[in-house]
Amino acid sequence: MKRLALLSLALVLSVLLAACGDSGTQEKQEAAPAAETTAPAAKAPEASTDKDMKVGFVYVSPIGDAGYSFAHDKGRLVVEQMPGVTTSYVESVPEGADSERVILNMARKGYKIIFTTSYGYMDPTLKVAQQFPDTVFMHCSGYKSSENMGNYFGRIYQARYLTGIVAGAMTKSNIIGYAAAFPIPEVIRGINAFTLGARSVNPKAEVRVVWTKTWYDPATEKEAAKSLLDVGADVITQHQDSPGPMEAAQEAGKWGIGYNSDMSGFAPDVVLTSAMWNWGPLYSRVVDEVRAGTWKSAALWEGMDADVVGIAPLSDKVPAEIKAKVEAVKADIVAGKLHVFSGPINDQSGAVKIPEGQAMSDQDMLGMTWFVQGVVGTTE
Amino acid sequence: MNAEFLIPLLAAAVQSGTPILFATLGEMFTEKAGVLNLGVEGMMMVGALAAFTTSLATGSPWTGLVAGGLAAAALGCLHGLACLTFQGNQVVSGLALTILGTGLANYLGTPYIGQTAPGFMALPVPGLSQIPVLGRVLFSQDALVYLSFALPGLFWLFWQRTRWGMACTAAGEHPAAAEAAGLNPVALRWAAIAAGGFLVGLGGAYLSLAYTHLWTNGMSSGRGWIAVALVIFAFWRPGRAVFGAYLFGGVMAFQLRLQASGTNLPSSLLLMLPYALTVGVLLFSAMRGQGGSSDAPEALGINVEPRE
Amino acid sequence: MPFWKAVKREEPLRWGSFFIFLAAMGLSLAISCALLAVQGRPPLAALSILWNGAFGQWYAVEDTLLKAVPIFLCSLGVAVAFRMQVWNIGAEGQFALGAVGATWAVLAMPGLPAWLMLPLMGLCAAAAGGLWAVIPAWLRTRLKVNEIITTLMLNYIGILFLDWLVYGPWKDPSSFGFPMTREFPPAAVVGAIPGSRLHWGLAVCLAAAVAMHLFLNRTRMGYEIKACGQGRNPARYARMPYNFLVLFVMGLCGALAGLAGFLETSAVTGRLQPSIMVGYGYTAIVVAWLARLKPGAIAWASVLLAALRVGVENLQLDLQVPAAFGGIMEGLILLTVLAGQFFRNYRFKTRRTDAAPAKEAES
Repeated sequence: MKRLALLSLALVLSVLLAACGDSGTQEKQEAAPAAETTAPAAKAPEASTDKDMKVGFVYVSPIGDAGYSFAHDKGRLVVEQMPGVTTSYVESVPEGADSERVILNMARKGYKIIFTTSYGYMDPTLKVAQQFPDTVFMHCSGYKSSENMGNYFGRIYQARYLTGIVAGAMTKSNIIGYAAAFPIPEVIRGINAFTLGARSVNPKAEVRVVWTKTWYDPATEKEAAKSLLDVGADVITQHQDSPGPMEAAQEAGKWGIGYNSDMSGFAPDVVLTSAMWNWGPLYSRVVDEVRAGTWKSAALWEGMDADVVGIAPLSDKVPAEIKAKVEAVKADIVAGKLHVFSGPINDQSGAVKIPEGQAMSDQDMLGMTWFVQGVVGTTE
Repeated sequence: MNAEFLIPLLAAAVQSGTPILFATLGEMFTEKAGVLNLGVEGMMMVGALAAFTTSLATGSPWTGLVAGGLAAAALGCLHGLACLTFQGNQVVSGLALTILGTGLANYLGTPYIGQTAPGFMALPVPGLSQIPVLGRVLFSQDALVYLSFALPGLFWLFWQRTRWGMACTAAGEHPAAAEAAGLNPVALRWAAIAAGGFLVGLGGAYLSLAYTHLWTNGMSSGRGWIAVALVIFAFWRPGRAVFGAYLFGGVMAFQLRLQASGTNLPSSLLLMLPYALTVGVLLFSAMRGQGGSSDAPEALGINVEPRE
Repeated sequence: MPFWKAVKREEPLRWGSFFIFLAAMGLSLAISCALLAVQGRPPLAALSILWNGAFGQWYAVEDTLLKAVPIFLCSLGVAVAFRMQVWNIGAEGQFALGAVGATWAVLAMPGLPAWLMLPLMGLCAAAAGGLWAVIPAWLRTRLKVNEIITTLMLNYIGILFLDWLVYGPWKDPSSFGFPMTREFPPAAVVGAIPGSRLHWGLAVCLAAAVAMHLFLNRTRMGYEIKACGQGRNPARYARMPYNFLVLFVMGLCGALAGLAGFLETSAVTGRLQPSIMVGYGYTAIVVAWLARLKPGAIAWASVLLAALRVGVENLQLDLQVPAAFGGIMEGLILLTVLAGQFFRNYRFKTRRTDAAPAKEAES
């Protein structure tokens, strides 16, 4: 036993010595402590152009799931194609301490731009941003920022609104099923926009919500869709990342509307369209700005006009007049003539939440925790 | 609660309970011979992945099914190696198997997320599926469900009426006595691990080939653990395993349907139902004086010491 | 039949244990490398990246130590339970309940000063975690319900309970609807040891380790626990309060896991949110077994497995290895070590040296 203790002590000492003496191999991007750089003016991080710029991505789920992280990764691949840029990513990073470590690691390794793609990464990103003022941090779906940290999101609710129109027009039973993941604002917002769209062409339509509390569990999500089909829904849509609900729709011969990417491949006969992300343009724009030295921290919430969100081509099963209607509404949204969350909007109990003539502010939309009239379900 | 709600629910219960049934029966087979295998969750995952990839590669779901069973059996043999040959603690070895199997499946399966494989579709039995209620619940399912109907009876026959079955039971109850009678309990246990593992793999394959035609990380979501619990709930008898599996499948389907019909109960609490129910049934079995240690195979979890 | 068979040693091997452990680790690493190679990744470079990620620089060592804290505490508790052959798989759920208990203290009495707040949180966390463990323990002693299943099911229920709290009654109104509680006031945050990023949870670990060592080796109850590991009947024969001890060790285990939950919530995230659940409870079981249930070795094993987790993140970043790789290594390590422990008590002997002339004649 004593020998073991001695052996272990020796091991520990050697490790510690190696660790302390090894700082030479660290990337020189290790920034000086934040105390030095408290210049009051908003100074954008310096441009760097002479070597391959490293851009890092942090994902909350596996990228292969044809879902949320998959869409981000498609954006990363666009950036990868840019000359003079290399990218890398870490997937399935739990929010909290692990994410802080991953982001820190990336910053230490000299990554110039780091995109953190989930809400729960907000505080960790901010913490690391304060330690590395020369690195640009972009956080998705949050609201905190600093000189070298911006945030960004896409107005997927616009796409949801359009898909809602399709659903409302195509439903015969007036019951539309929504397999939803977690009761967080972006999901609730999507459900609301979808419902508003559906009821704009079909005031009798109702949207039933089932929470699966999963982002990618095909079995549970398919079962959720089946439970909605069993209560009479004839159009199914979803917020999760797996095509499980679309499979259920296909097997039952009912319509489906996908999410995150074009899901028609999974259920070719029944998918009418999908609400999709398109991060490539936004990401390349940020990379260009950083390279040119013109990047400034901002809260970007871009929509259909910037092509960040969109819908998949409508299937042939959609009649021509509905297609035309969708096109027209889309044009209105892009032109800024139609604001999805503009009054009058009532909540589930019938109380007026947005009076006629008013539009919801970005702030209110970001924190949406109530359902509009026409949604059947709870927000917990 | 009317027929409109109940019949689809029962049908969903059968479908949802089938992978659990396969896994429960597989684990029961292993446990009857005296080996506690807590690696069911990992074995289901590996089975699901193997079945999915094989079906994708060969285009035949049946081949995929067999591959799934074999893969899980192979993983189970690692457990056999650790416990039967190396006298390892069965509880810990099983846990290691779960961690390993889950990791392997998620690691090797990453490229397959987002793809669809040819799978089993619903196969209504001509004639029988027209019977009111039962027709929809029992006879409008897919081929694997029908296969699972036959298993409990087969198991009962095996254990009660065949020499090999009784030999396996002896290996689980009194391996020393079995050895004195000329049997080889270790070999029997190996066979039980492999065969039981094969069935568990079928349960996993069901998830990726019939329940859905997809693969994802964490495919089995705890069903393997439910299966281990159900073996206890079933007092190591195949008939009750059916009841337990469908009950459990039903609860999983029920809480979703409850949401769909517009309840106000928070979904987190509803999601607790299957697990709370498992504890409940164990409690119930124990209070009735059965289950727990009295019905388990005597030598369950105890390794057979190598003889001098 | 095989040419060799296993023969029990007269005396268990002692010095060989460490080498067996090394051999087992070596085997696991070798198999893991093979898996990497199968997917086209350079295995040796991977090992070096793995090492660098965990120990390469001082900050990496800090990361590893930080991660080792919750693993260590959970594992300390699990080891005590396993000594009595009480199979507590529920450390995960007890961890969650501990976090909930600590948060309750903060939310109920937000104005307390740090010297009151932190011990109170620790107490509530230990109580909550302990209670969550005592329930399956009670079911086992009173009703003979198998604790493997009940602790496991309570894991799921505990985590869902945490979810319900942060999505519902405890949700921070200013978090834009995301599931998390308010940020803890500074008095409720376990601070960092000055000069590093390590937090005082390390001190808690040290104290717990010392206390556990003293308890197991110097007190009567500790002795009884170790003795009861042989089974219920020998214990009864020696007139030890078996049932009480079962309840006690489970409560202790739950309390330690609960403390770990409190530390993670307070020192690391600063608020309660679902993402604190990353599987420490299950890793704790691996660690406890690797360390053969001894507190000293548990410290090393926790650092080892924490290093694995941290190193694997590095692997992901540099080589795009999927996150599940860490699970494979953990499982392999446990299996190989488990199998390797065989050689402590047995050795293989070939049939040839055995007196079995009839069989020799046949073959």
